[in-house]
Amino acid sequence: MAAAGSVTVALHVAEVLETIVSGCLGPEGRQVLCTKPTGEVLLSRDGGRLLKALHLEHPVARVMVACVSSHLRKTGDGAKTFIIFLCHLLRGLREITDKEKDYFIFENIQTCGRHWKNCCQWKFISQALLTFQTQILDYIMDHYLSRHFLSIFSSCSKERTLCRSSLEMLLGAYFCGRVGRNNHNLISQLMCDYVFKCTACESRFEEVLEIVDDCFVELKVGVTGLPVSDSRIIAGLVLQRDFSVYCPADGDIRIAIVTETIQPLFSVSGSEFILNSEAQFQTSQLWITERTKAIVKHLQSQNVKLLLSTVKQPDLVIYCAGLNGISVVECLSSEELSLIQRVIGLAPFTLPEASSQYELSHTALVEFCKPLILRSKRYVHLGLMSTCSFTPHCVVLCGPVQGLIEQHEDALHGAFKMLRQVFKDLDLNYVTQTSDQNCTSGPCIYENSRENNELPKIVNSSIQRSYQDTVVKSKGELAKTQTNLKVCSNLIVPGVKLEKNVLCSGPKVAVTDSYQTEETLRCSSPNKGTIMDDHEPYIESNSANSTTENTRREISYGNLQVTKLARKDSMLSLRYKSLEMHTSQSYYFSSIPAGCVLPVGGNFEILLHYYLLNYAKKCQQSEQTMVSRIIANALLGVPRILYKSKKGNYSFPQVYVRALQTLQTNQPMISNQTGLESVAGKYQLLTSVLQCLTNILTVDLVISIERQPQEICDQDSEEEL
Amino acid sequence: MALNGAGEDMDCGGLWLRGSGSTLLQQDLPAPCASLPPEVDDFSWEPPTEAEMKVLQARRERQDRISRLMGDYLLRGYRMLGETCADCGTILLQDKQRKIYCVACQELDSDVDKDNPALNAQAALSQAREHQLASASEPPLSSRPAPQPPVPRPEHCEGAAAGLKAVQGPPPPAVLPNADVVACTQEALLQKLTWASAELGSSTSLETSIQLCSLIRACAEALRSLQQLQH
Repeated sequence: MAAAGSVTVALHVAEVLETIVSGCLGPEGRQVLCTKPTGEVLLSRDGGRLLKALHLEHPVARVMVACVSSHLRKTGDGAKTFIIFLCHLLRGLREITDKEKDYFIFENIQTCGRHWKNCCQWKFISQALLTFQTQILDYIMDHYLSRHFLSIFSSCSKERTLCRSSLEMLLGAYFCGRVGRNNHNLISQLMCDYVFKCTACESRFEEVLEIVDDCFVELKVGVTGLPVSDSRIIAGLVLQRDFSVYCPADGDIRIAIVTETIQPLFSVSGSEFILNSEAQFQTSQLWITERTKAIVKHLQSQNVKLLLSTVKQPDLVIYCAGLNGISVVECLSSEELSLIQRVIGLAPFTLPEASSQYELSHTALVEFCKPLILRSKRYVHLGLMSTCSFTPHCVVLCGPVQGLIEQHEDALHGAFKMLRQVFKDLDLNYVTQTSDQNCTSGPCIYENSRENNELPKIVNSSIQRSYQDTVVKSKGELAKTQTNLKVCSNLIVPGVKLEKNVLCSGPKVAVTDSYQTEETLRCSSPNKGTIMDDHEPYIESNSANSTTENTRREISYGNLQVTKLARKDSMLSLRYKSLEMHTSQSYYFSSIPAGCVLPVGGNFEILLHYYLLNYAKKCQQSEQTMVSRIIANALLGVPRILYKSKKGNYSFPQVYVRALQTLQTNQPMISNQTGLESVAGKYQLLTSVLQCLTNILTVDLVISIERQPQEICDQDSEEEL
Repeated sequence: MALNGAGEDMDCGGLWLRGSGSTLLQQDLPAPCASLPPEVDDFSWEPPTEAEMKVLQARRERQDRISRLMGDYLLRGYRMLGETCADCGTILLQDKQRKIYCVACQELDSDVDKDNPALNAQAALSQAREHQLASASEPPLSSRPAPQPPVPRPEHCEGAAAGLKAVQGPPPPAVLPNADVVACTQEALLQKLTWASAELGSSTSLETSIQLCSLIRACAEALRSLQQLQH
């Protein structure tokens, strides 16, 4: 498959998907009715759901939907915007490359040589897209966009308190584009209440959100047949089981967890039980009964009123428990168990080996334990006393049909993922080149020569800390998306042992010792084709001062001629195009603090578009200019669709012109939309789209196979025998 | 080894294989600053002309229509296959009965088929009219499609059923128009015909000639209808 041909095909596929999702984008979007191949009907505005419901066998379409799914798993937002943005990028790329082709000739008249050059061009373009991410995007975000950001925290000091109205605006905007118009206010209010109720301490939102995101399935209960407005939040934990035996209890209630049956079995696996006579059998049975009763009595003596079991207990145990006033819940799922353990820190009760050994058993105190009846289904309602920052509450989602409840559940889950990203700092790493007059070096290309998802973290703090591992962090933790060519945006803090004269200056940082970090630099400059081992880097001290409040440290290197260190698990290879030129590269570490948001309505896209175009005008290298222009134009596709239905003063051209005027005159941007969106989410969406595009552009050949290749079983062991 | 995408050979000269991606990346790329292949430079590119713009616009609209139709079919449960149509290069769809369907070939009229009389009723009608114009001086032949007063429509034209019903609805008028009126109209038509043929002889512009010819054809048809009324 020609790479150029694959762009055309990819564009067709993307356009088809775009027609499907563009109708439901934004608050004005409509519901889309989709008939699955099984005959079920799906009515939804959720982009991810719709895309997964389509029956796609085209390989490029499947790649796109897989990229969207993995992006959603991480961030919970942006499926429709992903497809629209990807489609516009492909269109832009096709227009650029169409300039060389004849418009009217479809048949192939190209020779192999020309075709090879076309493919080189696509590879070049895809590399340019990735270096855009490392060199331009972070730089623009850090320098220009950061002054427009708002924060959902009410004070930017160390004590940050979450502002409730900002959270409502953020969630309102999220649900507005995802849930039906009559329900989205209710759901966003519900979620807001939930977040505030669950968080005991104001500053521990991240932990709470993490627990809720991981265990969301256990924290929600769906009830069909009731109107959506009956949805509510219940304090405590609701287990999806009913009591096997229920004994109402007052006073202190303790619970114990068992993971095996209390009643001893005749024999355990791996052992034999030999009976010679009927009397022996009856004696054994009697012993079993007595033992069970003893254990249950022991539990009762410990004031255990509730027994939670992950397995099915035999009838004798239930009977004894009932006699002793212990309620029993059986067949708990392992996820529910792990949630309980996470919240109250209770370990399972270990059964004592002999009748005389009664160790201190593991029990915990709970506030209450009672049955809960929701529309003819019975549940167990536990009031746990939490030892962590998460106060357990459950969401009861009501809806007329199961499908609607599932959509609301998905929307809530996605919202929690999105909030998790909002509450994290976004690290930015970029390199700028301050080159001399005779410098014509190309972009720095960082390659990850192994496909490995585990990239060690970069330390975004003082360089005085010494760290031994390679420090690379890819942008926005997107290492999880699979790419064949991973570009590590960063910042290689040089990994050679520096013995003398190491000076790295920033105004607040002073490195006095040599710091050891390791990296592999493989220099492939024209004259020095081999790997060299015995150089020391020459580190120039740079007197640039960063006066901004962000901690931005700058290290600049000049004449870095080093290569060294093939540490085995290092993952970087750095290639400089020309080392003889005196280019100094400046590496910047910065971060966008948690809680940064922007008003909705395409503000992020318009801002980034404006600054990218400005950058493209100043930039000298033509491939960066081309890439910046393509991306800047593609960014406008999203607000164009959002404002499609508006007229007059609120139509897209008016909004765009007004925004440009305010930006050019350096006035603050005013937005008349209530609603906020997360900057981290937008940034991660952009980088995901660029990586997906790179994947698609680097496809050379598509081979269709009938079935998955089989795993090659280990034949060595057979051969040894 | 089965290769996918017969339709994607549009731009590819045939089969060729690449080495592994990593070997490419370690080669030195020819010119670090060039973004386009060297034989293309900006000076040789000119903006497209009006005609080319129209063609581009038509092509883009056609592509948009195809995408929209395909999106609708996907939402209805059709499956998007990995192959493209051999004729037009559009991605193929497969329905639940496992029948393969190409949206462009089977639903949209292509640019070429518009003029094919076997496929299009309008083209057939204009062809029939041209035949009659060629034999306008002779009495009307029975080469007319059918003796029904309104023109019959083939089934696949839009509104065919409604049109057919409308045909059979009102009965044809049985009253003959006044003979004087017919004579006056014929007179006027013949005068126009004469004028038009004189103009045609002296015109030098292509557009004017085409318009005059169509005027002549219209007059001839009107004359024929009038003669039918008289009979």
